[in-house]
Amino acid sequence: MNRIVIGRYIPGNSFLYRMDPRTKLIAMILLMVSVFLIQSFIHMLVALLLVALLLVFGGISVKRVYLGLRPLVFLLIFTFLFQVLFNRQGDLLYSLELHYTVLNLSIAMALVIMWGFTKRFLRFRLLYFLATVAGVFLLFHYLPFGIVLGEGTFSVYEQGLSTAFFIMVRLVIIITLSTILTITTKPTDLNLGLESILRPLRILRINAEEIAMIIAISLRYIPTLLDEANKIMLAQASRGVDFQEGKLKDKVIQVVSLLVPMFIISFQRSDDLANAMETRSFVPGQKRTRLHILHWSGLDTTALAFTCAALIGVILLRVVGW
Amino acid sequence: MNMIDIENLSFTYGGKVEALKNVSLCVKKGEWVTILGHNGSGKSTLAKLIVGLLKPQKGTIRVDGVELSERTVHDIRKKVGIVFQNPDNQFVGVTVRDDIAFGLENLRIPREEMIERIEHYAKRVDMYSYLNKEPQALSGGQKQRVAIAGILAMRTEVIIFDEATSMLDPDGRKRILSYMRKLRDDGVTVVTITHDMREAVQSDRIVVLKDGEILKADKSEDVLKDKETLEKSNLELLLPLEVLHGLEHKKSTNEEIKEFLWQLSLNG
Ligand SMILES: Nc1ncnc2c1ncn2[C@@H]1O[C@H](COP(=O)(O)OP(=O)(O)OP(=O)(O)O)[C@@H](O)[C@H]1O
Ligand SMILES: [Mg+2]
Repeated sequence: MNRIVIGRYIPGNSFLYRMDPRTKLIAMILLMVSVFLIQSFIHMLVALLLVALLLVFGGISVKRVYLGLRPLVFLLIFTFLFQVLFNRQGDLLYSLELHYTVLNLSIAMALVIMWGFTKRFLRFRLLYFLATVAGVFLLFHYLPFGIVLGEGTFSVYEQGLSTAFFIMVRLVIIITLSTILTITTKPTDLNLGLESILRPLRILRINAEEIAMIIAISLRYIPTLLDEANKIMLAQASRGVDFQEGKLKDKVIQVVSLLVPMFIISFQRSDDLANAMETRSFVPGQKRTRLHILHWSGLDTTALAFTCAALIGVILLRVVGW
Repeated sequence: MNMIDIENLSFTYGGKVEALKNVSLCVKKGEWVTILGHNGSGKSTLAKLIVGLLKPQKGTIRVDGVELSERTVHDIRKKVGIVFQNPDNQFVGVTVRDDIAFGLENLRIPREEMIERIEHYAKRVDMYSYLNKEPQALSGGQKQRVAIAGILAMRTEVIIFDEATSMLDPDGRKRILSYMRKLRDDGVTVVTITHDMREAVQSDRIVVLKDGEILKADKSEDVLKDKETLEKSNLELLLPLEVLHGLEHKKSTNEEIKEFLWQLSLNG
């Protein structure tokens, strides 16, 4: 149950840790917007370099960021392939004639089946998957023997490649930035910062403090609920429910046998918690003093000035049309 | 002067379960009263009524001379704190410090005073070195001590403990009993709710509830010795008193006493 390690706070003491959570939140949003406005290849590479520098000087291990990216690697590769394969705008950069024949189709099918069977035994599944895809294309090109069923071309266009590049780099930068934020900021501080930033929403009758309280309580109870799920699973397992294997029907029974008690216990819990909060003089919407307060320092002003400069720079570049 | 004054209080859940029937009772300022009763006798219902979590269907509740109503409930909650049974379900903050602060924030205590109080009461329940810990890192007893510190820090005049020790081990229970004694010495009015006779011993007065009715309310000593009343409400005499009781009624030989004690320990 301790698999949720992505983006968990890791104590440290670089300048990123000393920044006010509000600064980090606003800076992150500004930088994300900037990244979306960048249109030139070179500028994008510069942005990537700057983010890398941020990691180095912020004392954040690249491995942590990679862990944050890993669940999305497949998505990244998929979007990349999708763009490269189907975007047909701009100049033609490369093309490969493909001949679909009975022979190479059968071999391709065999390859895919083999991939399906053997992938679970290998460590570098993603590379293996890519190699298989590449292998299938090569087959279609280099084995044009036998009865021909159809013809096609695999072509890469300039636009496809550049769109793919931009999407990839933007996603990587965005995820890296948000990982930096969550690694260097305690959940309580992050919440406090969020509350402070959302406070102007009062004019829309949205109570930032309540939202923050809801987030804080959810944060507080997630580990407790995971613990509970664990206990229930153990209890159910001792009654013969198998949580590891099983057909769809068994899976449904497993999920139900976990969810029903979880719900009942959670309702009891929330009832008790509401009672405890109410009797400790909590009245929703009423003014409270706060134990935690945020400190704005020169570092924050500097950091915010830099990010604003970056955003303005990007906008100017775009207007000038470089 | 009475701190809590309850007159002819009745409460029924959903029009069916009569949890309290015509209960009248008072607790004096600075007094330590135990409410004793079997499971389902209406103890928690009574506690929830006193802090305004439930609304009385009949009868009145007065706290420090003020009648409990929708209008006065917030003021009354500033005078009456309550510690519940399950330590996990009353931990509001993300850390021990935040949890003790929660009530103080609600009372709009200035930040400097808040910090002082948090440290003072964390020390008082021996949780000072845990101030930055998250609840997952604490045992049940420690969480319960944090809950108590959170209430103590609010400096309420009355503290109700609703089976606050029932999920704890003997050591945890003893610690909390010692805090209760200290509270009484400090002049705080204490109401403990329990079905554990050992918790009732040190209080000034015991109120015995049975099926929503008061069976007996008297000085602790008198109630503890009253085998008949206790048996009627499914409670047991304290072991030494049971022995005393057993021995009083017969002139026995050593062998017979041994046999009697043996039987007693077998029956738990
Ligand atoms: N929310 C509720 N809805 C319906 N009936 C309830 C509810 N809460 C309690 N009751 C019933 O009211 C009666 C008194 O309950 P109460 O919780 O006050 O007992 P208790 O003395 O605190 O018991 P315990 O020692 O188990 O805590 C019981 O019969 C119980 O089943
Ligand atoms: Mg109860």
